[in-house]
Amino acid sequence: MRPANLRDLLQPPRLWFVIAALAAVVALGGWLLLRQSGPSVDRTWLQMQERGTWRVGMDPSFPPFETLDAQGAPVGYDVDLARALAAEWGLEAEIVAIGYDSLLDALQVDRVDAVVSAFPFNARMTKDIHYSPPYFEAGVRLVVGTDATLENVEELAGRTVAVEWGSRGDAIARRLQREGIALERLPFQSSQEALDALLAGAGDALLLDGVSLRLAQGEGKPVRAVGPALDADPYVIAVSIKSHQLQAALYDALAALEQAKELELLEDRWFGEMSRGE
Amino acid sequence: MNCPIVPPEKRDLPTAKSKFANWLAFLAATSPRVRKLIGALLVCSVVGFSYRTYFRNWVPLGPQRAVTTVNAKMGVHTRLTDEPEAAKIKRSLEMVREMGAPWIVEYFPWAYYEPRQGHYAWGHPDVVIDHANRQGLTVIARLGYVPEWARPEESHHLYLPEENYEAFGRYAAEFARRYQEKVHYLIIWNEPNLSLEWGFRPVDPAGYVEMLKIVYPMVKAAAPEMQVLAGALAPTLDPPGSEWSMNDLDYLQGMYDAGASGYFDILAIHAYGLGFDADEPAHESVVNFRRAELLRDIMVRNGDGDKTAMITEGGWNDHPRWTRAVRPGQRILNSARAFEIARSEWPWLENLCLWVFRFPWDQKSYQDYYTFVSTDFEPKAIYLEMQQYAQGRFEAP
Repeated sequence: MRPANLRDLLQPPRLWFVIAALAAVVALGGWLLLRQSGPSVDRTWLQMQERGTWRVGMDPSFPPFETLDAQGAPVGYDVDLARALAAEWGLEAEIVAIGYDSLLDALQVDRVDAVVSAFPFNARMTKDIHYSPPYFEAGVRLVVGTDATLENVEELAGRTVAVEWGSRGDAIARRLQREGIALERLPFQSSQEALDALLAGAGDALLLDGVSLRLAQGEGKPVRAVGPALDADPYVIAVSIKSHQLQAALYDALAALEQAKELELLEDRWFGEMSRGE
Repeated sequence: MNCPIVPPEKRDLPTAKSKFANWLAFLAATSPRVRKLIGALLVCSVVGFSYRTYFRNWVPLGPQRAVTTVNAKMGVHTRLTDEPEAAKIKRSLEMVREMGAPWIVEYFPWAYYEPRQGHYAWGHPDVVIDHANRQGLTVIARLGYVPEWARPEESHHLYLPEENYEAFGRYAAEFARRYQEKVHYLIIWNEPNLSLEWGFRPVDPAGYVEMLKIVYPMVKAAAPEMQVLAGALAPTLDPPGSEWSMNDLDYLQGMYDAGASGYFDILAIHAYGLGFDADEPAHESVVNFRRAELLRDIMVRNGDGDKTAMITEGGWNDHPRWTRAVRPGQRILNSARAFEIARSEWPWLENLCLWVFRFPWDQKSYQDYYTFVSTDFEPKAIYLEMQQYAQGRFEAP
């Protein structure tokens, strides 16, 4: 039997055998390589364990999410959230005060392990930053009185909608008008005046951001949001894209806090209790 | 001669490609006419491909438009530098016109358009300037941003060594020569009283005036009618000796002391209102909109009362959590009032261009709350209210 030359090997059916053999060699090599190196180490997570602290960056200038108390200590929803998350991992939260526009820079140069600061999701940064699932929706909502029957924006035709003049809610009301919903826009100088107008019956609905809405509900105002946010603005926790163990731990801890209704309790503590009967 | 016998199944069978090539070769060999036809087809393919590549980002200029407004001093700073799509450039400028603002300030970075010394790439500025002109807008061009070849390795992109002032002057002169029929105003550099904008060197009014002394005559030689704007100083209250900046009032006086007067035609001013109303009186210890009046006083004191000024940046911000922002309604009221002050109280001011019309993408910072139009061209309430103002129908609720 004469030995096979290259041309013979490149003819079926031997060609298929050669391809299968090459694929097996590549797979074996890849497995050996990965087996030797193992998963990459999450330095942030390791350092957190060594220090016993989770360094959290925030700009304490946005109550009730984060502010400073009379003694200059950080307090607020995000402060308590950071502490609750750290406690899930047996750590302490170390709050690092940083200006809002420098928070991501601080994260990227490893000055902090995470940003928890009523921080919005930014798709443009996802190459370097990993964002947790949202824990608060701050986008504009359609708000009505608790007794109102209105359930979606399509029903706004022929109705009066209160807005804070110039706000994002105002822009959305004008957009709905341009899209053909014949609502009457009722602008006020502040969101409080717009809310008061709704409660006084001067308006049928209100377009209001999620933070102002939750504060109003915490004050016992009989209002509720209907439908999803008209302009999503979720608050998320930012960590480095390289911190894969921290990312996984965040998912688990946030889910655990949500399941235990800890997030609701935190909201009630900082925004005031709201009726969740509906 | 013995020829090897190759079984039929082992013979090299012609592929579809080689069949086509053989067929073309056969046709070409058959007739000179066919050869010419094939050549013509190839030329057409090359031309067609080039045409498609060149015009892929092309949109028609459309008919000549004019801005309708009750206040001819209204303007905005656009930010089309990093907007690559011609359709979006056109839409931005259409919306500026539709708002009723006849003036725009736009940035034309030196590093973008002279990436290699002496090699200019005017494609993007051509698009911006042609569309702006077609919308009836007057362009004020801001020049700056140092290319790598004009500064030391690893240095900051705003660091321009003195020995390369002339290279910057050549760029400014080339720009002026190319666009002198379409652009009549050039701003030389931006906020040189900030260390950041001066390449992280100590700020130095005399150093900036040295730049003007070199660039100004080069621009004038290239385009004698071009109006050169200087200054565009950042309003700051930093104390003397600060490593970050120099008080804008001190800096302007320092410019005059260094002999700036003969080397600019118009003063560019930045007038931000921060948390103050537009009518808040000017004071040396306050950064507010009327601080522009203090800069004007310095011009007059130094014998430049005949020259005019332009506010090439300014306005208010309505970010919900930035400490120097105002509520959205206040921003609208202040902006309308500022345009009115420019029109009725400041005859020495040619225009007021508010920062910033739109960004190509969300900055996800307080900067997004200076805009008039969102990234996806949705008009913000302030845009629609300024449109009402330009039509003489503005009315606060």
